[in-house]
Amino acid sequence: MWSYEKKLQYPVKIKNPNAAYAKIIISQLGGPDGELAAAMRYLNQRYTATYNEIIGILNDVGTEELAHLEMIGAILYQLTKGLSPDEIRHAGMDAYFVDHTAGIYPASAAGVPCDMKYIGIKGDLIADLNEDLAAEQKARVTYDNILRLVDDPDVRDPIKYLREREIVHYQRFGDALRIATDRLDEKNFYAFNPSFDKGCGCGH
Amino acid sequence: MDARSALLKEIQAEDFALYETALYLNGHPTCRSALSYYCQHKNTVKALRERYEELYGPLTLYGNSSESCWHWVDAPWPWEKEGN
Repeated sequence: MWSYEKKLQYPVKIKNPNAAYAKIIISQLGGPDGELAAAMRYLNQRYTATYNEIIGILNDVGTEELAHLEMIGAILYQLTKGLSPDEIRHAGMDAYFVDHTAGIYPASAAGVPCDMKYIGIKGDLIADLNEDLAAEQKARVTYDNILRLVDDPDVRDPIKYLREREIVHYQRFGDALRIATDRLDEKNFYAFNPSFDKGCGCGH
Repeated sequence: MDARSALLKEIQAEDFALYETALYLNGHPTCRSALSYYCQHKNTVKALRERYEELYGPLTLYGNSSESCWHWVDAPWPWEKEGN
């Protein structure tokens, strides 16, 4: 189970609302490489992750992604608070506004609602961990792109923090993949899932 | 920065150090230097959290210290600018 902590993982304190920024940053809430997809990917992969160390990494990175989902929600909330209809229109946020007002709805920057088609859960340790390594890099690139488009230091600061977390998570999934491959038999050239392929000769 | 925000920021920093070490330990469970860093910071985090909850209200659902008032539902919530 989970229990909530009444604090953000890292502070979000934005002085100037800006709907144009919210329109871009929303992709990290509900876009293809966003935090919601990330949390669902790791928290659902962990059941079949075979080794305790790797289960722990998926469990805790998945939980941290929920904290990041909340940070992005806080950024979007503060960027859209108190805006007038005119400001919404000029920022190009009118299409979102007509459906959601200033509510926080997980969708991509292009307006596509979050979809579990964004994530892969193959039930095979090697396949899943490679999915995770790629996912962290894709999320890092998305944050790089946001930083290319956003000037306000109040917004850039938490975005930079989140970008750095993607890099650390990539390292931790690198550890996980090393643990998994170290435990495979040397003859297991194709790195079969040891929990499923009992007869694969991989030493389990 | 007011006193509450300053203490909260200190907790966020200490929590982060502890969490980051824990995440590393998942993949390196026998690393002695990481384990000793974890043990050291665990106590700091605990003390800071207790101080915060006494002064400013609960950080978790289990941290309400008043017998006359339920402070969990007091603003600010974390996503508000004032909550940071």
